[in-house]
Amino acid sequence: MRSKIILIVLISSLAIFAQNKKEAHPNLNGISCKTCHSCDIPTKENPCIKPCPRDKMVSINQSPEEGPNVLVIDKFKSQSNIYAPVVFSHRLHAEMSGMAGGCKMCHHYNPPGQVIGCSDCHELMRKRTDVSKPDLKGAYHRQCMQCHRSWSGKVDCVSCHEPNGTNQKNKEQAITEKSSKRIHPQVITPTVLKFDTPKAGGKIVTFYHSQHIDLFGLECQSCHSNESCAKCHIKEKPASLKAKTADQKHAVCSNCHDTKSNCNMCHSSTTKEGFNHKSRTGFDNSKFHASLSCSRCHLEKTKFTGLKGDCINCHGKWTQENFDHKKTGLAFDENHSGIECAECHQEKNYSNPVCKNCHEDKSYPKNVPGKLIKKK
Amino acid sequence: MEDIKPVPMNKKFFTPIVIGLSLLALNGFLFLLARFVFGIGSVTNLDNQHPWGIWIGLDVAAGVALAAGGFTTAALGHIIHKDEYHAVIRPALLTAALGYTFVAISVMIDLGRPYFIWHPLIMWNGSSVLFEVGICVMIYLTVLYIEFLPIVAERFIGRVNLPGLLKRLNNPLDKFLRILDKGLEKTMFIFIIAGVVLSCLHQSSLGTLMVIAGPKMHPLWQTPILPLLFLLSAISVGFPMVILESLITSRSFGLKPETHILSNLGNMVAPLLGIYLAFKIGDIVIRGTFVYLTTITTASVMFTIELLFGVIIPLRMFLSRQISKSPTGLGIAAFLVIFGVFLNRLNNFLVAYTPPYEVHSYFPSIGEISVTLGFIAFEILLFRIAVMIFPIVSVPTLSAQRTKYTVRGGAK
Amino acid sequence: MANQSRRDFLKQAALVGTAVTGLSTKSKAAPKNSLSEDRMGVLVDTTVCIGCRKCEWACKTAHNLETPPLESYEDRSVFENRRRPDSKALTVVNEYQKNESEKIPINVKVQCMHCDHPACVSACIVGAFSKQENGSVIWDGDRCIGCRYCMVACPFQVPAFEFEKALKPDIKKCDFCFARTKDGQIPACTEICPVEAITYGRREDLVKAAHEKIKNYPHRYINRVFGESEVGGTSWLYLSSKEFEELEFPKLGKDPAPGVSEAIQHGIFAYFVPPVALYALLGGVMWINKNKKNDQETEI
Repeated sequence: MRSKIILIVLISSLAIFAQNKKEAHPNLNGISCKTCHSCDIPTKENPCIKPCPRDKMVSINQSPEEGPNVLVIDKFKSQSNIYAPVVFSHRLHAEMSGMAGGCKMCHHYNPPGQVIGCSDCHELMRKRTDVSKPDLKGAYHRQCMQCHRSWSGKVDCVSCHEPNGTNQKNKEQAITEKSSKRIHPQVITPTVLKFDTPKAGGKIVTFYHSQHIDLFGLECQSCHSNESCAKCHIKEKPASLKAKTADQKHAVCSNCHDTKSNCNMCHSSTTKEGFNHKSRTGFDNSKFHASLSCSRCHLEKTKFTGLKGDCINCHGKWTQENFDHKKTGLAFDENHSGIECAECHQEKNYSNPVCKNCHEDKSYPKNVPGKLIKKK
Repeated sequence: MEDIKPVPMNKKFFTPIVIGLSLLALNGFLFLLARFVFGIGSVTNLDNQHPWGIWIGLDVAAGVALAAGGFTTAALGHIIHKDEYHAVIRPALLTAALGYTFVAISVMIDLGRPYFIWHPLIMWNGSSVLFEVGICVMIYLTVLYIEFLPIVAERFIGRVNLPGLLKRLNNPLDKFLRILDKGLEKTMFIFIIAGVVLSCLHQSSLGTLMVIAGPKMHPLWQTPILPLLFLLSAISVGFPMVILESLITSRSFGLKPETHILSNLGNMVAPLLGIYLAFKIGDIVIRGTFVYLTTITTASVMFTIELLFGVIIPLRMFLSRQISKSPTGLGIAAFLVIFGVFLNRLNNFLVAYTPPYEVHSYFPSIGEISVTLGFIAFEILLFRIAVMIFPIVSVPTLSAQRTKYTVRGGAK
Repeated sequence: MANQSRRDFLKQAALVGTAVTGLSTKSKAAPKNSLSEDRMGVLVDTTVCIGCRKCEWACKTAHNLETPPLESYEDRSVFENRRRPDSKALTVVNEYQKNESEKIPINVKVQCMHCDHPACVSACIVGAFSKQENGSVIWDGDRCIGCRYCMVACPFQVPAFEFEKALKPDIKKCDFCFARTKDGQIPACTEICPVEAITYGRREDLVKAAHEKIKNYPHRYINRVFGESEVGGTSWLYLSSKEFEELEFPKLGKDPAPGVSEAIQHGIFAYFVPPVALYALLGGVMWINKNKKNDQETEI
């Protein structure tokens, strides 16, 4: 009898264990086991978990409106009753962080799927065995103080905490209201910045800020990550760029640009022109491609080289039937409509058509196979 | 050879110098009182960075070193058995006994909890250098008193004369003294050897004491051979101490200085100092710390003074025949050696000790200096009292007959 | 039977032997010091500390020391002076400017490091200090005689003395909240720290975690864990973005602080052989010289 019970208990616990295995990792698409586990087959007894890799994890990117408006942090009620639960204006902070590092400034660990909050990983109890990551209280405070401390240097509690027994509801409402409105004014971005550098023979670096946003489609945080509010709001400005090393100055550009060998790309003795597709690559995109975003053609992010100027690269499916030649500013006359493209555009040369195949005495652009019209 | 015997000195006790010394002692006592009422911090300049001041660096460390005359003369007179030096053994023994007594008292007043001074006897920590020093000093002090007992017996046997009601104790006490004297006569060699061994142990360990301070101590002094240097310097300062003391005593009591014995003693100082100097210089050369001497700092200046005036110059003086024949020359040379060792202890414990995070460097307060001076003064007074009561200073037998006491025993 | 008694004899002999060596090494009566594999420690991340000084308040409260109210600790003007732990504050936080270009200062908490091979334990004349199994180095007030040799010995200059007390001055230093940890609590400072800049845990785990942090954030930390090997290792470990010497940590080697002096001490007292040998030698010299003298005298 007893052995039977033991057997049942054993089997049922095994079954539960097997189920737990899957439930322990609710949303793991995109992350390999090795990111977190150091051994091949982690078990419950020996999970061999590495310390949290943080930055290496996929992180979310949502708009501030998608997240909650306010959060009431009341997890520590049982531990201390000095302060009332903190009402955290989540949306406001999400909005502000959008100007810098984005969601991942706080949600540093977030595999695809639902958003993971602090308490999902950080333990509530300070006395614990896993010392690789701070406890919940530490994690919260670290996140907050990272910015709030650099703001004024103040570390006093009451700037976030209300002593217990104060009018909690009013406070909560005020913050909710404040947070629901967009209060931070639109950040005015500069069009062009000129940097004086100490580089001989290339003192001036002209930086087209607006082009980087509008043309290249960079997000704020791709350059302004790890910057807190203090970057703009601090009263005493930190020491100027001059105090930084060459490496530090280049760091923000070298994500995309080769700052090691190709100096003349940015450095020049005179002010440089902004980016112009024709002069830089020889392909004039202003005629037909002006409205396109870079990524329509340059599919690989941040890699803009390697495309050939041939239309066929992108427009491989065009035939004389589905191509409206009028768009090029030339409407065919009757004789020429219905001719295969390749009859005139030999060797895929679409800028200089040849007439020799049919007309021995004619040539483009002296003779036109139709009527020149205004481009559409 | 003239026959000399130790006898109690018969002189007027109060002289102007004695009165001056008494005032110094009284002054020290007042500050001492303040220490026990208001705490160590109120009287001294000690703080958390400078836990030890001159009460340890001078009163204890230098005090122990300068009392080395006791064991060096004991070794010379009793163990190597040079009878001609017996004349200096008793004064040296008295100096040592008094010196160590004051070392013990200095430790007591410097301890935060002096009433727990007996703790090391039952609470042992074998790895503690201080424990070893403490135990050795305690035992050695006892040994010194035992060695002194025959002198007491010699003075009082047959003359125990207690007043009033205690009269009845006179006879038993006399008997007890006789038994003690007889027993000690047979077993004294045990204590004499023990005294020398104990001295070697704690004189060297006093050096080990500062080794644990590690980088807190200036590299010019911080060396693993500190115990050896301390032992060598203690041995070399023993005879100069006896020489100077004998010269001062004879001057103070109007006796003829024992130039012959003293210059013989002086001849032995030179080789001892030489060995010490060799180790000292070898140490800074081998460890390469002599580079610190190339810049002028407190440390380098103090080190140079210590070595030049405390070792090299007196070494040269003791090597000179002319100087070692004259009492003045001997006196100056001996004084320089004593000064050198004194400064060495001061340097090791205070000058070289540069702790991290010090707010201000240490300089002894008026209270500390007063207490130290008071102790020295009191010690000299006690020495004077002792030589007037007990047969310690040796004088030619001719003058001895003029004293009002008859001396029993004496030099055998 | 005969065998039995012989074994008894051997046993007794061994007992006597150990008793003798025990006496001679003199360590029998000293409190038990241990270096447990599971000893605890604290990892101080100076890049996280915000200098709120809550730890100072918690420490004083836990040790029944006088303290102003918690709010007064928000006054940051105390950072203008460098402070050290003393008899009234067992731990203090100091502030250092990171460098001119950066606004956020570096705060460093100072207290006893709880060495694995403590100089104070080795030095104390009465064995009042002991290294406990959980890593704490604690002071026993019933033994202490107030000689202050621990203060001379400590490489971190931590033990403090109540110089103002005339009758029963104590040595004061962080005791790793020995009373609290015995009750299953964690040290008061580690409990109150809002950012958990001080993490309490098994020392071994903390060392591992510290190196992992350095590996993950090479720009944030310099590649050194202070206390991992300094003076043979300490229970308190520090991470920093700046060289530790610039934050006024003492420059120390990897050898345990009491190493050299213990080697000398145990060399001189190796089972009492050297002193006894010296005694025998001197006795021999004395005997020979005395006989020589007597011979000479009888010849005369």
